[in-house]
Amino acid sequence: MSLPSAAPAFALPPSLPELAAVDFKPPKGERVVLDNGMVVYLMRDNTLPVVHMTAYIRTGKLNDPLEKIGLGELTAGLLKDGGTLKYRPDEIDKTLEFLAASVDTHIGIEEARADLTSLKKDLDTVLDIYAEVLMRPAFSPDKVNLRRTETLEMIRRRNDNPGRAAVREALRSFYGPAHPYGWRSEEATVKAVTIEDMRAYHANYYRPNNIILAVAGDFASYEEMIAKLKAKFGAWPRGKVKFPVIPPVQIRDKRQVFHMEKDIAQAYIVILQKGLKRHDPLEYPLTVTNEILGGGLSSRLASEIRSRQGLAYTVYSYSAKKPDLGYSLAYCGTNPATTARALTEMLRQYALLTREACPAEEVARARDSIVNSFVFRFPTPFELITEQASFEYYGYTADYLDNYVENIARTDSKSVLETSQNLFKPEDAMIFVIGNSKKFDKPLSGFGPVTELKED
Amino acid sequence: MKKTTKSSPHKAPCGTGAGKSVPGSPSTETDPKYPPVVSYTLKNGLKLLILEKNFVPTVSFTMLFKVGNVDGQQGKTGLAHLFEHMAFKGTQTINSADYSREKVALDAVEEAAKELIAEESSETPDLKRAQGLRNKLAEAEKEADKLIVKDEYLKLYTALGENGLNAMTSTDYTGYVVSLPSNRLMAWMAIESDRFKNPVLREFYRERSVVMEERRMGEADPGRLMWETLISNAFTAHPYRNPTIGWMDDITRLTRTDAEEFYRTFYVPNNATLSVVGDVNSSEVIKLAEKYFGDWKYRELPARTYTKEPPQRAEKLVNLFFKAQPAVRMGFKNPGMNHPDIYPLIMASEVLTNGKTGRFYRNLVEGRQLALYAAAGASTPGNRYPSLFVIVSAPNAPHTVEELDAAIMAEVKKLETEPPSQWELDKILNNYQAEMIKQLESNSGLGMSLAQNEQLMGDWRYDWKAGEELKKVKPGDISRAAAKYLTRDNRTVVFLKAPAGKKKDGLKNQSPQEHR
Repeated sequence: MSLPSAAPAFALPPSLPELAAVDFKPPKGERVVLDNGMVVYLMRDNTLPVVHMTAYIRTGKLNDPLEKIGLGELTAGLLKDGGTLKYRPDEIDKTLEFLAASVDTHIGIEEARADLTSLKKDLDTVLDIYAEVLMRPAFSPDKVNLRRTETLEMIRRRNDNPGRAAVREALRSFYGPAHPYGWRSEEATVKAVTIEDMRAYHANYYRPNNIILAVAGDFASYEEMIAKLKAKFGAWPRGKVKFPVIPPVQIRDKRQVFHMEKDIAQAYIVILQKGLKRHDPLEYPLTVTNEILGGGLSSRLASEIRSRQGLAYTVYSYSAKKPDLGYSLAYCGTNPATTARALTEMLRQYALLTREACPAEEVARARDSIVNSFVFRFPTPFELITEQASFEYYGYTADYLDNYVENIARTDSKSVLETSQNLFKPEDAMIFVIGNSKKFDKPLSGFGPVTELKED
Repeated sequence: MKKTTKSSPHKAPCGTGAGKSVPGSPSTETDPKYPPVVSYTLKNGLKLLILEKNFVPTVSFTMLFKVGNVDGQQGKTGLAHLFEHMAFKGTQTINSADYSREKVALDAVEEAAKELIAEESSETPDLKRAQGLRNKLAEAEKEADKLIVKDEYLKLYTALGENGLNAMTSTDYTGYVVSLPSNRLMAWMAIESDRFKNPVLREFYRERSVVMEERRMGEADPGRLMWETLISNAFTAHPYRNPTIGWMDDITRLTRTDAEEFYRTFYVPNNATLSVVGDVNSSEVIKLAEKYFGDWKYRELPARTYTKEPPQRAEKLVNLFFKAQPAVRMGFKNPGMNHPDIYPLIMASEVLTNGKTGRFYRNLVEGRQLALYAAAGASTPGNRYPSLFVIVSAPNAPHTVEELDAAIMAEVKKLETEPPSQWELDKILNNYQAEMIKQLESNSGLGMSLAQNEQLMGDWRYDWKAGEELKKVKPGDISRAAAKYLTRDNRTVVFLKAPAGKKKDGLKNQSPQEHR
């Protein structure tokens, strides 16, 4: 697409040249569907003798059973580490590492992935391992135990970084510890997972008709690569995938303050409010609104709390889309002695967005920022084709990317104000703080009823 | 495998000079071993490295100066990093409504700040007077605010469509990076030449507070705290001992005058390399660089001889008490990047660390299941001066840091008794070569790597040349280097442990999960 806007809407210093629009039409790769339902995106790129692949497998941590949270993560991690029917685990490691290739399998909240990187000359060897890992994992018991030991140790260490803990625990309080958007794995749920569970999980979700594969790099032709993929994956049978029902999100639209006592050098503040479901067209004005509020160093939060008042090094906001209601989040790490001051300012900035229309110049700058940096979503052919695959995975229409820039460019002061009024109710926002309350400048009870939580 | 110089820098061990560009005439690398980088040096000494890559219309810029915290004076630690923050605050024309009036206001701020710092630093500070001076400073800042165009520098880049606008300070270097749509080439030249020729350090004392928060953030993070503890204990005399962010007490006394002095000393074109990687035309880049950076004044740099670190004679064991799960950091003094022993040491670190077939993973993580992770690196925190061969690890409960330490040292000892096999070495070299190819994929990563190697190691081809040196290393060389450097009397160890004292803590090492 050609990007419609680019010339900054405010005066540039006179020494600067006039700026043209950024004209970039992302090349389209190939999309093919194998007979067994596997969707494949391809982009040939012969600049370097390297091939990359990534598979999106339609599952995620949110599909775990409540009493076995961690099942998806253990399964995904062990696909490669646990060996396959054809290859022992140590054979896989030795072969891949000697060839400086990699096969990685992992899982996020809403997606499972399997990545491959290989030098062109070794592709056949590496692709055979990759295919075996996806189709015929063996879950060798000693590797399962090792992975479980590691997972339990990570659970023990989950509070070592307080800033990260603050975001995780805030979301847990926001969605509730029993909802997949908020939960975390626990010692008991990880110990409850058996090898049989993993086999069943793999057999259900890891099916060709449940996978979108993106491939980019140095291959001779699309026909050649498709033939290779058919040879590896063609005989993999379809399966009927069963998905669990995710309970609807319930958010309490009423101010709650959560505090976790911890004697550390900074206090960590997280503010959470209701966000959007994926595919809600409000995402465009919301993206611009977040850019204005907390998107970068010149955003309102950073300008006020960091640059003008010197209260924080890290302060930002963003919004996350989910299948059900997502969230808007603001974060700040500050001296415990300025906790209330920083928190007050964060809330004030949300309120300001709902009360006053943003100056047109500010909205234009936020739009320019998103539009003009759009090209950075595709720095390499592999990232470009991965992005295209991910849009299909997340259910966007085929023209989503083509229209994205225009949809952003349509945002104006009025839509930013309406979106803010629609989504931000700072007086009801949930507040979560980790820090040493003895050093706070004002007690948190001034912000609403406080629930004290213990770090665990 | 990580390249040898990813995070830090120094002097080229493999001979410099060959293929260097002379002022005024660009030279293009034609040896197929290397990417076709165009080199060019301005008369004022500014070095340019340009690589054309055309998949997307973007370009990545790295301006890298050979100045870091190691170049700061004792009592002024953190100055290099604080200046880096200040380099986002504009120039005489950017961020300013009227610089001639603003300058007067800024001088009033500086005077008030110096008075306050003097009072606060006196042996018997007068608290009431200090408060009065604080108010005076706040008043002066308010006056100066009236003449500021807030965040204009940042807003310019926002509107231009920047990606990854940032800067980084290490003990060795300071780098300024941004990627832009490639038709912003001239805008970058105009803004950045002004930035480095005419910076105005406005809002200095507020930004100093931001840095204090950055420091506090580090103090709350056990990972950062362990690094600071290791490095400040390992070095006795050499300035590598000082944390790059600075000691809090020093930060509270840094002034704008200090930062301006630092700028005048080190921010000169003959101390910098600019790399430009992306969808550009190299002669266009050279033409614009001449136009915008050509009048930047050359100035002699001071000698960079600092107190040499004396040989270590004692094993240093440090117990760091902090409320977090246990971990180990250790460092052995290395001979520096321009000593030939560094290559066997780099290979030793890879023999221990490289992948699941590496010795640490095979024996400590998997075999005995003592460690959650264990890894080694040959040169931290810097490459300009002799530095540390480091090992990082953490135990799986219920194992203790002492047990883990003993197992790590046994693995290190095995480098002598069981020299690496040819398979282990070939694997490492294969990974190094593949890394050399893959690094060409990312414009910004490659740009940073080229600039660092040119400015600190003396040759942008350093990584490729180091690869040739690594190929020459024999198993016996690794054993000998391990025997020479990875010894008890040459090491410093930090054990992170939960604070003692509370009743339950006795149980902690046996079953930390009960104590969560």
